[in-house]
Amino acid sequence: MISMSFLTGLFSFLAFVSGSALLVMVYLDNRKVRIDDGIAKFRRHIDALSPEARRSSVHHNNPEDRWSR
Amino acid sequence: MARDLAIDLGTANTLVYMKGKGIVLNEPSVIAVNRQSGEVLATGHDAWDMIGRTPSYIVAVRPLRGGAITDFDITERMIRLLLQRVGVSRFTRPKVVICVPSAITEVERRAVTDATRRAGASDAQLIEQPMAAAIGANLPIDEPVGNMVIDIGGGTTETAVISLGGVVALEAIRVGSFDIDAAIQSYVRREHGVAIGERTAEEIKIQIGSAEPGPQDRSADIRGRDLVTGLPKTVRLTAEEVRFAIDEPVTAMVLSVKRCLAKAPPELSQDFLARGMYLVGGGGMLRGLAERIQRETQVPVNMSPQPLEAVVLGAGHCIENYQALRGMFMGTRR
Repeated sequence: MISMSFLTGLFSFLAFVSGSALLVMVYLDNRKVRIDDGIAKFRRHIDALSPEARRSSVHHNNPEDRWSR
Repeated sequence: MARDLAIDLGTANTLVYMKGKGIVLNEPSVIAVNRQSGEVLATGHDAWDMIGRTPSYIVAVRPLRGGAITDFDITERMIRLLLQRVGVSRFTRPKVVICVPSAITEVERRAVTDATRRAGASDAQLIEQPMAAAIGANLPIDEPVGNMVIDIGGGTTETAVISLGGVVALEAIRVGSFDIDAAIQSYVRREHGVAIGERTAEEIKIQIGSAEPGPQDRSADIRGRDLVTGLPKTVRLTAEEVRFAIDEPVTAMVLSVKRCLAKAPPELSQDFLARGMYLVGGGGMLRGLAERIQRETQVPVNMSPQPLEAVVLGAGHCIENYQALRGMFMGTRR
């Protein structure tokens, strides 16, 4: 009886430690700056400056709009 | 909920762009204040009409010189009034993007952001005028090609080479169209012995001012005060005289463009010959200026279709795409 509860406790403890370690690893991995983060950020920046993106703001106010509405 | 705003806080004019609406305000950067009580009496066009014509207890001033705040309190009050006029209250605090000259110092930068935050903005970000101008002038700055923009404002001349969404080379001087007005005032005083106001000087510049001789050269009668007798006097001024009078500031502008061209990498220089440079800002509307820059640099110069609004439209685009273009704001890059 005593050995059973000891084993249950031990396995619970190990499961808890492993789970926590896994969570910490996942958290640290997400915090790492990935090589493609910069690429995605730069792509968003460039896309936001494209003529299509500027259509709603700049061209909207331009009477000589070359993409006339 | 207040809509976010972009403000082109220029030495000459202030323009406000509201997110989702476009340009909602465009007026001179002038404020008239009661000297005794400190009350604001007028702003914008009403205050501009008062320049040089006020009784002693009223002062009508431009709170910015050379693109920088010269009077912090007055500027803060002017921004507060601007925000109120476009619907900002103490319960609605918008994000604001403000266009400033690229040559602005750290102290001046902080003065602009502090004045804007104290006037009611929840967040104030700054963007360099040439970058905003390039976005607003529809230049293909998202491509890996050289785009050159010359922004001539009231107090500054800024030239930038932009490629792939960033500034490659930049040249800025604190010489603008107000220096042209001042040169005309100084010439008329020196050569004709007549004192004229800054509004008269500006009218002369618009009527007969030019940077290059042209078929439309005319002369104009101007009225001022005789410095010897103190009586009103009319003198005739020719376009050639005005060209001579304004040669110094115009030459300074052209030299600054040349310095920027010299800073540009050779790969981008060849793009300028094919695509030309783009001129924006009210100062760029001086007759013959594009031709003079073209003659001296041997690079074609194109006038932006909306020279006065390009800067605020570019800043407006940044406020519409705030998250994606955050990297363009001055504080986030430096």
